[in-house]
Order: sequence, then C-alpha cells, then structure tokens
Amino acid sequence: MHTPSTAGYPIAPICVTCLLHRPPDVTCRPVTGYGSVNGPPDGDLVRRVLDGEPDAFGGLVARYRDRLGRYAMRMLGNPADAEDVLQETFIRAYRSLGRCNDPERFGPWVYGILVNRCRTLGAKRARRNRVQIADDVVLARAAAPGDHAENQALRQTLEWALARVSPTLREAFLLRYVEDLSYEEMADMTGASVPALKMRVSRAREELRRLLVEASDG
Amino acid sequence: MAEHDDRLDRAIALLREPVPLDADLDRRIAERIAALPAPRRAGPLRLAARWLVERRLRVRPVWALAAAAVLMVVTWGVRGLIPAPPPAATTAAAPGLQTVRFVVLAPGAAHVSLVGDFNDWTEDATPMQRIATSDLWAASVPMKPGRYRYAFVADGTTWLVDPDAPPALDDDFGRPNSVVTIGGS
Amino acid sequence: MHRTLPAILFVLVALTPGRAAAQEPRLAGRLPDQTRRDVEALLDSARTAGLPTEPLVDRALEGATKHAPGERIVAAVRRLAADLAASRDAFGAGVSDAEIAAGASALRAGARADDLARLREIRSDQPVTVAAAVLTDLVALGVPPDTATAAVLALAERAKDSEYLAFRRNIERDVALGATPVAALEFQMQSAANLFDAGPGRAAGAANRPRKP
Repeated sequence: MHTPSTAGYPIAPICVTCLLHRPPDVTCRPVTGYGSVNGPPDGDLVRRVLDGEPDAFGGLVARYRDRLGRYAMRMLGNPADAEDVLQETFIRAYRSLGRCNDPERFGPWVYGILVNRCRTLGAKRARRNRVQIADDVVLARAAAPGDHAENQALRQTLEWALARVSPTLREAFLLRYVEDLSYEEMADMTGASVPALKMRVSRAREELRRLLVEASDG
Repeated sequence: MAEHDDRLDRAIALLREPVPLDADLDRRIAERIAALPAPRRAGPLRLAARWLVERRLRVRPVWALAAAAVLMVVTWGVRGLIPAPPPAATTAAAPGLQTVRFVVLAPGAAHVSLVGDFNDWTEDATPMQRIATSDLWAASVPMKPGRYRYAFVADGTTWLVDPDAPPALDDDFGRPNSVVTIGGS
Repeated sequence: MHRTLPAILFVLVALTPGRAAAQEPRLAGRLPDQTRRDVEALLDSARTAGLPTEPLVDRALEGATKHAPGERIVAAVRRLAADLAASRDAFGAGVSDAEIAAGASALRAGARADDLARLREIRSDQPVTVAAAVLTDLVALGVPPDTATAAVLALAERAKDSEYLAFRRNIERDVALGATPVAALEFQMQSAANLFDAGPGRAAGAANRPRKP
C-alpha cells in the first residue's frame, strides 16, 4: 500500500500500539515495551540471561535475526558477509550484555552493534557489481519462480546501484527508508548529527534515483 | 520526474522485503554462544557511571513494529513473501567449478559479449543477457580455479573493461583487459 | 640476468628453422597462415621446454579477436613464452602450469625471480598460484612492486588462498574509496597480522576469546 507523505516516505509505518499511521517525527510509547508483541519483553529476556539462563538469549536472536540480517544484506551486498556480520553482532551482544545500559532497549542497542560491525567489516569496502564467487542461493533468489519479471530486473538493477553509492550514504538511506528509524535514532547509532544525516539521506536518494535512471535508459 | 520517484519507491519496497538467511545460522550462533562464558551484570562502578550519564533516550515503537513484522511473516507463511530457491541440483556448478557472475553497464549496445581466457576469446561463446530493458548486461560462467584475463565487447567493436576488477598489467594489443582470480586450487 | 638467460635460450630454440610444428586446432581460421605457423612454432618450442602452452594459445586468440597485426601477435606470444620460462626457473621443478602462468604475470608486474623462489620456498606445501596472482593484482592497483612483493611474502607462511583473495579485495575496495594503495595495503596488513596473532583456530577462537571487562 502506498501512502503519500510529505516527508518522502513511500509507506508510512504503522504504530502497533495505537494502530495509526505514524507521522515521521512522532513517537509513541508502547505499553508493554519493545518486542513484546509475541513472547516476553526484551528486558525480561536480557535479565534472564544475566541471571544465569543463557538459553534465553536464543529468544532475542530469533526476534531480531531477520531484521538485522536484512540490513546487513542490503548494506554489504552478499549473503556470506551478511551472515558473518550477523553472527559477530550476536556474539558481541551476548558477551557484552552486562553493559547494555537499558535492557528494555536491547533492540536499538544490538542494532547499533550491527551498524558498527557493518562499518568495520564491510562499509569500508566498495561493493562490486558482480559477485566473484556467486552463491547458488543468490542466483536462485534472482530467478525465483513467481517473482514478477519487472521486480526481478529492478532487484538486479538495485543491487548494482546500491553498490555504487558510498557506504556512508548507503547506510543513511537504509536506516531511514528501510529500517524506518527517526533521525534521532540514527544519530544515536551513527554518532553523526541530525543535519548531517538529513543531508546524507537526501544525497543518497538523489544518487540512487540518478543511477536507476541511468541503468534503465536502454 | 514523477515516474522516477515511482521507481525509487518500488526500489525501497523491494529493499524492505525479508532476506532469506541460511537455515543453519541460528544453530551456528547457538553453538558459538554455548562456548562462551556467561555474561555478567555490570559492577557497581559501571552502574554509578550509568546514572551519571544523561541519555537521549525515547521509547521507540519501531522495534515493536519489527517484532510484529517477524510475527506476520511467521504466521502468514513464508512462501508468499520470500522466494524459495529451486533445488540446488538445477543451479549448482559441476564439482570443481565455481560460478562467477559478470555484470557490465553498456549504454546503447545492442549486443554484448564476454570474452577471455576461459572461452578462447570467442565472441559468440558467452553472449551476455540484457537485464530487462536496462543498459546492464549480465552473464554467469562456471569456471575452474585459476586466473583469467577478460573483457566485454559491445556490438563487436567497443571494448569495455570491468571497472570493479583489477586491470591486467600486460596489455599487448592496445585494448586493456580485466582479471579475475578464482581460488580453490 | 637470471631472468633473461632462459628467455634468450627459449628464443634461440624457437627460431630454429625446419622444425615441423604440431597443429593447434583452435588457431585454424582465426589467424593469418603465416602468423599461425609462427605461433605454432613457438608452441612447439614451449612444449619441448616443458612449459604450459595454454596461456600462449590464449594470448594468440586474444590478439586474433582484437584484430591485432600478425607480427604483434607473434611478439606477444614470444614474450609470454619467455616470461613462462623465467617463471618456471624461478619457482623450480614440480610447479603446475597455473603456478607458472601466475608467476609469469608477477614477473611482468615487476616481481623479482628471487622473490618468486622465496615464495615457493615458504609455501612449499601448497600452490602459489593465488599468492602470485595477488602480487600482480596489487601492483595493478598501484602498489609499488617491491612493496607488493614484501606484503605477499609476509603473508605467505600463514595465509590461506581465500585469505589472500580477501586481502586483495579489501585493498581494492579501500582504494576505490579514496585511500592511497600503500595506505590501504598497510591497513590490511595490520588487520591480517591481528588475525594471525590470535593463534591456531583463529577464525573461531579469536571471536570466542574472553575479553576483559
């Protein structure tokens, strides 16, 4: 569903607490804490781990792996790097769980670890416009049955275009448009100022738009 | 311009789709964690430091949204949202071979070939496929471990190198090449 | 001197008149007759000298596809044959065709024969193809040959082929982002050193080592 927005969002996120379309810069305080739609809240799981129940960490992994994996994949461009970074992120989170200042905010905290991991291991690397050792799953994914041909082509073009945007701009674009973070949340995670992040997002949009046009003018 | 924004919007929608991860990932993470010492709570000094630091924290519902999205994927079924890979046998390269994907931007070309040491520099050996109606051309080639010089030829006359690959230093014929090295010897 | 002697000997052998050369079917129809005969004579000499002929055929076919003049194709094949001979001599007996070819590229990039010999000595239990290829690629990225050689030799004892390739890929990407080639190489050397200093089982062990709070 496409909801036009003056802030430029293609799809306005829905707050699961109030079930209303959330305008970009309005926050909402959920009643039961983060990640509590299904299962115990993050804070409970963190406390259980620290109280000597390490298996409880598995609940946090299951809760966040897909979303963190999506960001890592979009940022790094190949499944092997993304899965490596994802593993390292969870390992680091587990080992330093005692230093998570606010267990209720495990989500943003582990997300910040992931963003830094991506920067350290992959964000300094320019992504290539071809994988040197193509993963069969990647190739299969690109040719998935039932996938609309136009979407398939756009996927491949998008891979190529994302590879040409600098990691700094790519990171800002993904955090804003794919992960739906506010500029304040992005500032917390990246250490950049809100004005700087707004400029990066704007430049990333322009650059991607230009690349998509360049690739399609055939 | 409106058409271009629609394309970007569709691109963003695709980027927001779930990404299939290795089914074995959770087990690998669990194994590694099992080998680690249990994490401990912060000591009193760190607790004191925490209260001395002013935090710019606001409750964010975005994480609840993420959990809801995961729940929706699980309960509505993965098949409709995440493309299932076909059986490995139909896409795996033969033993000892690795599949390398080559992509090049060739504006205005009607035909692009990949030529190199792996196909005797024969122009019709590896024709590339245009990606939809774009100027991007792609080809996947099963290759044995080794080092290969290669280039792209557009319409039989224009030679293109791969901007993302190392250049071949020995240029004997005035048209530069790129190099790909496949490990695993 | 060490490099030119085998090359000179090779050229002398190749120019010996009256030797019937075997036919390489892939050249038929792609090269002018005289060019094909000259190239086949070079192939024959290479075969006699125990050198791989596939790189020579590839070079000739490359020239054919690029519509290069016959004499230029022959000169390129002859030069490559000399490089292959020098590479094989540098590496010593028992090396594979792929290693010889990779060594030839490294010599062309500016590596010294003594350094190739050293590389072979350090990695005596595994092929040196990828290590030599990475050396060449580093020079292609702008790293001075001596610096590239030193880096490759420093990694030779402990780096797996996949680590060599990752090393090169990382440098490539840092250079693409604006780092100077040498600065990028220094940074990646330090990363590699940190990784190797973690000890045996480093891939898993380094990550799992308990950290001080």
